[in-house]
Amino acid sequence: MTKGAQLTLVLVLLGLFALFYQGLWGDPRHIPTVLIGTDAPIVEGPDVETGQTISLEQFKGKVVLLNFWASWCYECKVEHESVLQLHQLFKDDQNFVMLGVNYQDKLPDAQQYLKEYGTTFPHMRDLKGQIAIDYGVYGVPETFVIDQQGKIRYKYVGPVTGHMYTKITQEIIAPLLKGEAISTPS
Amino acid sequence: MFMPIPLALALILVLTTPWAVLADVQDETALDIQVREIAKTLRCTVCQTENIWESGAPLAQQMRGVVRERLKAGHSPEDIKEYFLSRYGDYIMMQPPKHGVNWLLWVGPFILLLGGGLLLYKEVIGWVRRTPAAPPAPPPPLDEQARQRLERELES
Repeated sequence: MTKGAQLTLVLVLLGLFALFYQGLWGDPRHIPTVLIGTDAPIVEGPDVETGQTISLEQFKGKVVLLNFWASWCYECKVEHESVLQLHQLFKDDQNFVMLGVNYQDKLPDAQQYLKEYGTTFPHMRDLKGQIAIDYGVYGVPETFVIDQQGKIRYKYVGPVTGHMYTKITQEIIAPLLKGEAISTPS
Repeated sequence: MFMPIPLALALILVLTTPWAVLADVQDETALDIQVREIAKTLRCTVCQTENIWESGAPLAQQMRGVVRERLKAGHSPEDIKEYFLSRYGDYIMMQPPKHGVNWLLWVGPFILLLGGGLLLYKEVIGWVRRTPAAPPAPPPPLDEQARQRLERELES
């Protein structure tokens, strides 16, 4: 075996090893989602505050932001102010709807959370985790943007703060509301 | 009319057995087996290398519930796996589907083993070739007593 061939073999082996090692310790939450461009599952659940059924069906034709959260989730508290600010920014647009999805939580805890931190938009309960599984959720917070055609256009895992807030408001929601194309998949 | 006690007991047992419930239990057991078989092939997405059957995570528990509900609704195991694949991608499968770059996961370990073995073999052969063979050690000299004994034995 020549020196060149040996070197190539070593590099291939090192590359494979690095790939497996990275896969072993990588965070699955950062795996690109397969949901972008697919039809958003039509889900429904009781309103956290009123108990009345909220269905995604009733918001057909609008840009919908779905935000999965839980009262026990630290990062949800971190993003809460930004999420309220985001709703404030677009709430006057008739084509925009924002929905919270309360995930793996107890009703009194969720209600207390909303009372304590405040809210300006409705939240539905995910009673059996079916909504989260339909949306391929790994954990909370996770945020999805659905376009007027009912397609999932964006997904973000983590708190919507700082540059992510800017990106979601300016590069995702604003263009979608104007009917413009967006070029930033998750 | 007199009836023997064992016969009476057998009659009571037959009449009071909740056959419908037993049938349900049998169905449930069959369903449980199916749930287990499918759940063992699906990865718990919030755990490290655990399937949703073995994991105690709430998400895994809910996923098992979804598997059960879908089986009850008449979906086939393949339909159910397809559903989870469509939500989470290939990562959800404990055994990655054999297509595209996933092949690396299947053949990679063998490449590592064969390539590593080949390199090790070449290196060991190189060491053997580079190491000069040591000359045989000279025999220790005979002392006088041994020499005389040897001569005597040769002459006899």
